[in-house]
Amino acid sequence: MTITTMKTKAEEQLAEQFARTAPLLPGGAWVPAARRAAFQAFAANGLPHRRIEAWKYTDLRAGLKEAFSPAQCSTRTFDAAALATVLGPDLAQLPCIRVVIVNGRWQAKMIPAGQEPGATYHMGSLAAVLGQPDYDWMELCFGVSTISDADTLGGGAVVDPVMALNSAFASDGVVLSIVEGARLGLPIHIVSIVDADAPMATATRCLIKVGAGAKAEIIESHVRLGESPAQATAVTQISLEAGAEAHHVQHLAANGSSAHLGRWDVELAERAIYRGFQFTAGGGLVRNETHVSFTGPDAKFDFSGAFLGRDRDHIDTTLVVDHSTTGCESRELFKGVLDGHARGIFQGKVIVQPVAQKTDGKQMAQVLMLSEDAEFDSKPELEIYADDVACGHGSTAAEIDGDMMFYLRSRGIPEDQARALLIESFVGEAIDKIQSEAIRTSVMNIALAWLRDLPAQAAPLKAAKAATPNKARE
Amino acid sequence: MLEIKNLHARIADDGTEILKGINLQVPAGEVHAIMGPNGSGKSTLAYVLAGRDDYEVTAGDILWNGESILALGPDDRAAKGVFLAFQYPMEIPGVATMTFLRASVNAVRKKRGVKELTTPEFLKVVRAKAAELGVKDEMLKRPLNVGFSGGEKKRMEILQMSMLEPSLCVLDETDSGLDIDAIQIVAEGANKLRSKDRAMLVITHYQRLLNYIQPDKVHVLAHGRIQKTGGKELALELEKTGYAEFKLKAA
Ligand SMILES: Nc1ncnc2c1ncn2[C@@H]1O[C@H](COP(=O)(O)OP(=O)(O)OP(=O)(O)O)[C@@H](O)[C@H]1O
Ligand SMILES: [Mg+2]
Repeated sequence: MTITTMKTKAEEQLAEQFARTAPLLPGGAWVPAARRAAFQAFAANGLPHRRIEAWKYTDLRAGLKEAFSPAQCSTRTFDAAALATVLGPDLAQLPCIRVVIVNGRWQAKMIPAGQEPGATYHMGSLAAVLGQPDYDWMELCFGVSTISDADTLGGGAVVDPVMALNSAFASDGVVLSIVEGARLGLPIHIVSIVDADAPMATATRCLIKVGAGAKAEIIESHVRLGESPAQATAVTQISLEAGAEAHHVQHLAANGSSAHLGRWDVELAERAIYRGFQFTAGGGLVRNETHVSFTGPDAKFDFSGAFLGRDRDHIDTTLVVDHSTTGCESRELFKGVLDGHARGIFQGKVIVQPVAQKTDGKQMAQVLMLSEDAEFDSKPELEIYADDVACGHGSTAAEIDGDMMFYLRSRGIPEDQARALLIESFVGEAIDKIQSEAIRTSVMNIALAWLRDLPAQAAPLKAAKAATPNKARE
Repeated sequence: MLEIKNLHARIADDGTEILKGINLQVPAGEVHAIMGPNGSGKSTLAYVLAGRDDYEVTAGDILWNGESILALGPDDRAAKGVFLAFQYPMEIPGVATMTFLRASVNAVRKKRGVKELTTPEFLKVVRAKAAELGVKDEMLKRPLNVGFSGGEKKRMEILQMSMLEPSLCVLDETDSGLDIDAIQIVAEGANKLRSKDRAMLVITHYQRLLNYIQPDKVHVLAHGRIQKTGGKELALELEKTGYAEFKLKAA
C-alpha cells in the first residue's frame, strides 16, 4: 500500500523555488539533468520524518515549517578584520590558506605568499568548473544516493534528502585536490558565511581529494552574521587515496533559529588515515551526518566531536561506518553538553561486512546534562557479519558529579567556577582529539566563549560593514 | 579554637542519623586524634566540618574561632581556613592539576583579601612544595588525581593543604595507603604546619601516624559520639584492646 501524504508548506516552497531558480544555477552539460533528477527524487519522498528510521529523532517534516528562499549575493566583503567578527579572534588569525564563501558563493581566497596553488594543491570554485569538459567525474558526486531499506522501516529504499536537495540547489563550493605525496605547510580553511538580513537558504558542496601519500589539514567553518534565521545544506565529499592522511575539522556556530543539514562522505583507500572532528555550538536544528566507506585494507578512521546545545537547540550526529575490507580501524568519541530544552542525538552505525576481518571499531558518546529538560537520544548500532573483529560502543548521559563539585569547592573554588571547570574539562577531553595545536586552541576558546555565554564574535556588526577593502588575492 | 557542640547530622537522602551529639573542642595550636571503628562516623564528621551537603545538621553547632560556620558553603569555609584532606580524594578527569591548584589557591587568596599569585609566583611555590613532599613533576602535569596511586593521591592532598595554608586541618586517614617513608614525609608536611594558631584533627586507625604527629589528645568516636578522650597513650591502649569496649557499650 502506498500512502500519499499531503505536501507540507516547506515541500511546496522547495518545489516552487527549484522551478524558479534552477535555470540560474551554475553548470552546463549534464548538470541541469542531474539537478532535475535529484530534485524529483527528493520530491517523490519529501522531507524525512520520524517513520524513516534514519531520521527517527530529527523529523524534518515537523522541524522545517517553511523553506526559505535561496540566498541573495551579499554585498559585504569579508577581509581579515571582518572575518574576526564571525570566526572569533583565534580562528581568524590562524595561519592558513583560506577560502571565503558568502551566502553560498565563492567570494575570495586569501593565500599567504609562497603557498599559492600549483605544485602541492589545486583549489577553485565549484561553480566555475561544474559541467566543464574536464570535470565529468563530478557527475557521480551529484548522482542520487539512497538510504538503505533497513533505515526506512521497511518502506523501501528512499533518496537521501540532504544529498538530493544539495545536488539540486548547490550554488557553489570548493573543489580541492592535494597533489600526490604533497605536504601542505598550512591548513586549508573553508569559511562559509551566511550574511542574512532576511531569512535565506544556502546549498554548498565541497569536493576534496587527497592524493596518495599526501597529508593535509582542512577546516570548514559555518558561521553567520546577522540575526535572521537561515537554512543550509552543506555537503563535503572527501576521498583519501592510498596512504594519504587528512585531518578534517568542522566548526559550526549559528543561532537558535537556523537549520544546518550537513553531510560528509568519507572514502578511504588502503592505509589512508582520516581524523575528523565536528564542533557544533548551538545552531537551532543541526544534523551532521557522516558516511564512511573503505575501499582498501588497513585504513584508519578516527572521528570525534563536541556539541553544545541550549534553549531549543537540536543537534543530531549520525554516523554510518561501513567496513567492507580487512584490517581497518574506526574510532569515535563524541561529547555533548546540553542545557535548557536542548536535545542531542547520536546515531552511530558500524557495519562490518563478511570480508572485513580484523576490523577494530570503537564508539563512545557521552553527554553532560545541565538541565532536567534536556534530552539525549543515543542509538548505537553494530551490524557485524565477520567473526574475527573487535567492536564496541557505549554511551552515557550524566549530570555534573556532586562529589567532584564538593571536592573542588572544599578547595575554595566558588560554585560557579567549579561547575564551569567541570563542564569545560568534559568538553575539553573531546576537543583534545584535534591534533593541530592552533586549531585545537581556537576551537576550545570558541567552546569556552559559548559556555560562558559570551558571543564568540566580540565586535559589533558595524565593524564588518566598515571593513577596509578586501586585500585578498584573487 | 574549634568547638563542636552537641552536633547531630543525618544523611540528607534517607534521614539516617550518623552523628548523634558530638562534643569536641580543639584549641588553636593543638593536634587532636580521632580513632574509632569502621563506620562509626569519622569521615561523616570530617565532611560535615567541610560542609558537604549530602549531610544535614539537625542540631548543635560548629564554631571556628567563635563563629558558626554551619551556614557557609564549602568554598567559604575553605576561605575561613578549613581544610579537609580526603580519605578518598576524587579523580577529576580533564582538569589539569596545575590549573586546579592555581584556581584553588587564588580563589582562597581572593576571598581572604590577599593578593592573588601571578603565574611565576605560583609556579615557584608549587615547585618548591611539590619537591618537599615528593610529588613528582609528572604528576602535576596529569589531570587531577587521575591514575594516581593511593599514596600519590594522599601526597597531593598534603600538597594542597600546604598551598592553601589552612588554620583548621582535618586529615581523614591520610596515612592509610601510604608506605612507611611516605608516612614520614606526609607527617613532616603536617608537622610543618603545626603552629600556635592552627588546630588539627587527625583521623586514623593506626597508632603509628601518631608517633610522627604527636597528638595533644585522642578521642574515640563510636556510634556517632565521642565515647572516650585521653592523652596520646590512649592510642597505644586501643592498639592492644581494640574497640570491643565501645561495641559492647552500644549493645
Ligand atoms: N552518603 C552516605 N550514604 C549512605 N550511607 C552513608 C553515607 N555516609 C555515611 N554513611 C554511613 O554512615 C556510617 C558512617 O560512615 P563514615 O564514613 O563516617 O564512617 P568512618 O568512621 O569514616 O568509617 P571508616 O573507618 O571505615 O572510614 C557508615 O555506616 C556509612 O555506611
Ligand atoms: Mg572514614
